[in-house]
Amino acid sequence: MSFFGFGQSAEIDIYLDGQDVRKTAEVKTEEGKKERLLLYYDGETVSGKVNVSLKKPGSKLEHQGIKIEFIGQIEMFYDRGNHHEFTSLVKELARPGDMIAHTSYPFEFSNVEKPFEVYTGSNVRLRYFLRVTIIRRLADIVKEVDIAVHTLCSYPEMNNSIKMEVGIEDCLHIEFEYNKSKYHLKDVIVGKIYFLLVRIKIKHMEIAIIKKETTGSGPNIFTESATIAKYEIMDGAPVRGESIPIRVFLAGYDLTPTMRDINKKFSVRYFLNLVLMDTEDRRYFKQQEITLWRKGDRLRKPNLQTTTIMAGTQNLENTATAYGQQTNGEPEIQSNNSSQVESDKPEKAPVKEDFLRSQSSDKLNNPIADPFDQAQTSPSDRSPENQMVKGEGNRENEVEKVQ
Amino acid sequence: MASVSIPDIWKIEFASFFTNFLPTTPPQISPVEEQEKYLHDALAIVKNEAFKMKRALDKNKLMDALKNASAMLAELRTSLLSPKSYYELYMAITDELRHLELHLVEEFQKGRKVSELYELVQYAGNIVPRLYLLITVGLVYIKTNSSLRRHLLKDLVEMCRGVQHPLRGLFLRNYLLQCTRNVLPDSPDTESDVPEGNVKDSIDFVLMNFAEMNKLWVRMQHQGHSRERQHREREREELRILVGTNLVRLSQLESVTLEKYQKLVLPGILEQVVSCRDAIAQEYLMECIIQVFPDEFHIQTLTPFLKSCAELEQGVNVKNIVISLMERLATFSQRSDSHSGEGGNILKDVQLFEVFSDQVSSIIANRQYLPPEDMVALQVALINLALKCYPDRIDYIDKVMLSSVEMFQRLGLEHLEYNSSVAKELQKLLKIPLDTYNDILVVLKLKHYAGLMQHLDYNGRKSLSIYILNNALENEIIIPTPDETEQALTLLTTLVTEKNENMVGEIDMEELAEEQCLLARFVHQLQSNVPDEQYLILTIAKKILVTGGASRIKYTLPPLIFQAYQLAYKYKATKEEKWDKKCTKIFQFCHQTITSLVKAELAELPLRLFLQGALAIDQIGFENHETVAYEFMSQAFSLYEDEISDSKAQLAAITLIVGTLEQLSCFSEENSDPLRTQCALAASKLLKKPDQCRGVATCSHLFWSGKSLASNREEAHDGKRVVECLKKGLRIAKQCMDVSVQVQLFVELLNHYIYFFEKGNEEVNIEILNQVIKKIKEELPNLESSDETEQITKHFNNTLEHIKTRLESPEENLIYRGIEI
Repeated sequence: MSFFGFGQSAEIDIYLDGQDVRKTAEVKTEEGKKERLLLYYDGETVSGKVNVSLKKPGSKLEHQGIKIEFIGQIEMFYDRGNHHEFTSLVKELARPGDMIAHTSYPFEFSNVEKPFEVYTGSNVRLRYFLRVTIIRRLADIVKEVDIAVHTLCSYPEMNNSIKMEVGIEDCLHIEFEYNKSKYHLKDVIVGKIYFLLVRIKIKHMEIAIIKKETTGSGPNIFTESATIAKYEIMDGAPVRGESIPIRVFLAGYDLTPTMRDINKKFSVRYFLNLVLMDTEDRRYFKQQEITLWRKGDRLRKPNLQTTTIMAGTQNLENTATAYGQQTNGEPEIQSNNSSQVESDKPEKAPVKEDFLRSQSSDKLNNPIADPFDQAQTSPSDRSPENQMVKGEGNRENEVEKVQ
Repeated sequence: MASVSIPDIWKIEFASFFTNFLPTTPPQISPVEEQEKYLHDALAIVKNEAFKMKRALDKNKLMDALKNASAMLAELRTSLLSPKSYYELYMAITDELRHLELHLVEEFQKGRKVSELYELVQYAGNIVPRLYLLITVGLVYIKTNSSLRRHLLKDLVEMCRGVQHPLRGLFLRNYLLQCTRNVLPDSPDTESDVPEGNVKDSIDFVLMNFAEMNKLWVRMQHQGHSRERQHREREREELRILVGTNLVRLSQLESVTLEKYQKLVLPGILEQVVSCRDAIAQEYLMECIIQVFPDEFHIQTLTPFLKSCAELEQGVNVKNIVISLMERLATFSQRSDSHSGEGGNILKDVQLFEVFSDQVSSIIANRQYLPPEDMVALQVALINLALKCYPDRIDYIDKVMLSSVEMFQRLGLEHLEYNSSVAKELQKLLKIPLDTYNDILVVLKLKHYAGLMQHLDYNGRKSLSIYILNNALENEIIIPTPDETEQALTLLTTLVTEKNENMVGEIDMEELAEEQCLLARFVHQLQSNVPDEQYLILTIAKKILVTGGASRIKYTLPPLIFQAYQLAYKYKATKEEKWDKKCTKIFQFCHQTITSLVKAELAELPLRLFLQGALAIDQIGFENHETVAYEFMSQAFSLYEDEISDSKAQLAAITLIVGTLEQLSCFSEENSDPLRTQCALAASKLLKKPDQCRGVATCSHLFWSGKSLASNREEAHDGKRVVECLKKGLRIAKQCMDVSVQVQLFVELLNHYIYFFEKGNEEVNIEILNQVIKKIKEELPNLESSDETEQITKHFNNTLEHIKTRLESPEENLIYRGIEI
């Protein structure tokens, strides 16, 4: 307005209560940059003051009213025009009239429902912000402030371990176990792989954490996969009877809670992908969905002998002994077919499934599907963003092809 | 105390660093010549990264240092290097890691704790660098806070399972073992469940590490192409020390008591060893156990150890394992015997021999494919053990021999070929008791010795017999009883008899002579202090020795006869009742024995023996001895007449007979006269004139110094017949055509004359001497000059010189008056 050179203009400043002491959280912007925002939780009151300062002191500002809105919305990057607001609260700060001097308006949205967590993905963004609008005849004066929202969960009631027997007929039979199916974001995945039959020459084995973001509905579904982490858990070829420990700390990776069907617009899901590579560079893999959740902030542990690290070990040992006994009882496990195996030990009821195998020919079509290869071809290329972007497309192809 | 926490952002950075840092997956097989290059390249990277790491540490930039360390460790992911080069690389890297460790320990001690370091390093994306870092950091934690020790050790050894590649896994676990060597809990497990852990945790830790390393090591055998087997086995040999270090570590734990060793350590090791079913590993590890743990433990755990030995794979040299254990324990028992009674007590408690004996037989029984030489070698070791630990228990040795015999019977092995390895081992076995006791009598006490010896072939038995003989001779063992004599000679049967089942080829006479000389020497050692026993010994020995045939008895019987003569003297000395009857019997025995030599178509030897016998009889003078002596003399004569045809031999024989007869004094006139006359007659009937001459001259002494009962055992001094003989000699000498021989004979006769002249034979006078001297003087110049002539001249001159000295001596000068020189 001001460059028209007439009329009054004003600057809006939103001050949130306790903003000096409130915790902040890092949130990615659309451009991939990270910014720190004040952090709120579901049901928390959002209150503060709106300061309006006039640019030309002395002259009055005529307005049709001043309001503040609390908005939660989902933005689809491919449909920029339409924002889906799932929350919108309005408070009137001033009735229409004239403003003569700097004015300060307190506001309060008490116990606001904030059902979802902020999220910035590759195709979708979920954000919360406060918007102050000074309504004028010609052009409104608007000010927006983003806040971060984290949704906290309590410990899940059901948190079974993931246990599964998979294999390729007469080639490879393994049993793997992850200690839980639901992990909080600072959790540790503990598990083990038990080799029941090995007739291929395995070179190494790794666990990858894959994030799948699904947007849209009906025919316009987009799924975007990204490998968040790749973690080698075995080097070399095991023999029958070997049991390999798994321990993956999640805190180090850039993860969000699992989001299912957020406002019917999008989902973010996480998978553990167990990948075995043989000496002829064929890949065998099995994906298992895990649920990630955010736990309320805990106190930092004073030393590490407590749960996260050591509990993993205990758990591992227990399962190892259990497997030891089991194989003693059934040495010929690979010769039984799956149904028999199931009926033999109903209490365990492992799901026996086939491994997915991608032939090396598949890989040739996707020359950079394997990050090991990737490092070989472009060792200088070490930016994580770069790799993930590249990785996404390939991974998508690979997975869908096999499935 | 400042506690530095690592912000998540670092973790993310670190994790993404690893996610990106994904080195190449190199080809599996590499040409040998490129090894050096690969190693060189890798070492260059290590050097570079290590430098950067140290610089980062100096600047206190821990994250950067960890990244560099990880990059350095990533070199250990290679598959290109041979074990040797990999080892070099490993050493270089672990050396650099020590800097990191030292730095961290220092920081921790200063109180600057990085509380999540243990978690942090686990973000490393690749397992090999991750685990090396984890171990390094884990060690730092243990060193600075021992209450974490128990859990961390457990965690580390468990996490290392992730590396299943044999070479990389072995080195990783070796690093674990190296790092933890000074921090293993070593306190007795009295208090339960302390976080520092106790020795039981250490045992579990090392045993687990050992089992995993062994599995990896064994797995190497089954990788790659079968034509590279030898190469692979060599590589495995190079790596075995890594596996063995686990056992060393266990042995270094001071709180591993005998009880713990029995209950935890040994069963754990053995289970792994037996179940790995790999010959190389089994052999090495069993050897390791023996070498690494103290003997006190071995003694108490023999049964489980040896039982496991019986279960080992086909290719394992069980023999070596068992033998080396036996040797160690044998030395141990000797050592502890000399130190204190304690060791001895243990030995008594444990029944070392019984245990070994039982286990060895079960090993032999169970392992059909064990080569027989190894079975025998086991028995050898068993005997050695028995000898060292229980030197006074001959029955143990006998037991081993019995089981060896049974073993051979079961295997159906007879007549083991000489020089075959089994035979060699058996020889060794049979020599041990000899070498230890150096007493053939002890060997004779072994009931199964002879039986076992039968399993050797002829040559084997012979060479062993010679060995036994030499041993007995060197140690001058006296065989004091008839029974032992019989046993000994039966044992030596290959040397004694000529009946041999399969003698091959011609007998080497020289060799035979050598062997039989030994046997002859041995006969002298058949001695008893009791004469009656001695007689029995001789009878038995004769009975056995006679079977040797002509070629042997000529060596073996003479000593026997001499022994018999000595025995007769001994009887005489005892003067016991019936001694003369016994003497008669002895000489009957001698007669028989000599006759058997005669029957073997020998002549000179029995002749001499008869003569010797006659002398003995004469001196012993038992009842009826004249008849016996006469018989002996007459036998000698008849031998002379019937058997000796060679003229030289005849002369020698007649000289001997004359000599003997001259010594005998037991004959009455009616016996002595015919004998003397017979001698003179025989001498004059010799074929060659010089022989006749010399024979007759010799006979002359019979009539002078010969004794008989008639002359009351005094010398006969029959001067007349002496001169007759000498005259006959002169006559014969004159008949010789060869002048030089003639002169020689004259000189000799002159000497005879002078002898008798000086002895006072009145029939010999100066005239005769002068005649002979004159005759010689006439002929001597006519001789052609030669060596012979010179000799004769010298002889003659010496004779004259003798006379001259006599002339000059004051008492004797009278008798030579009138001599013409």
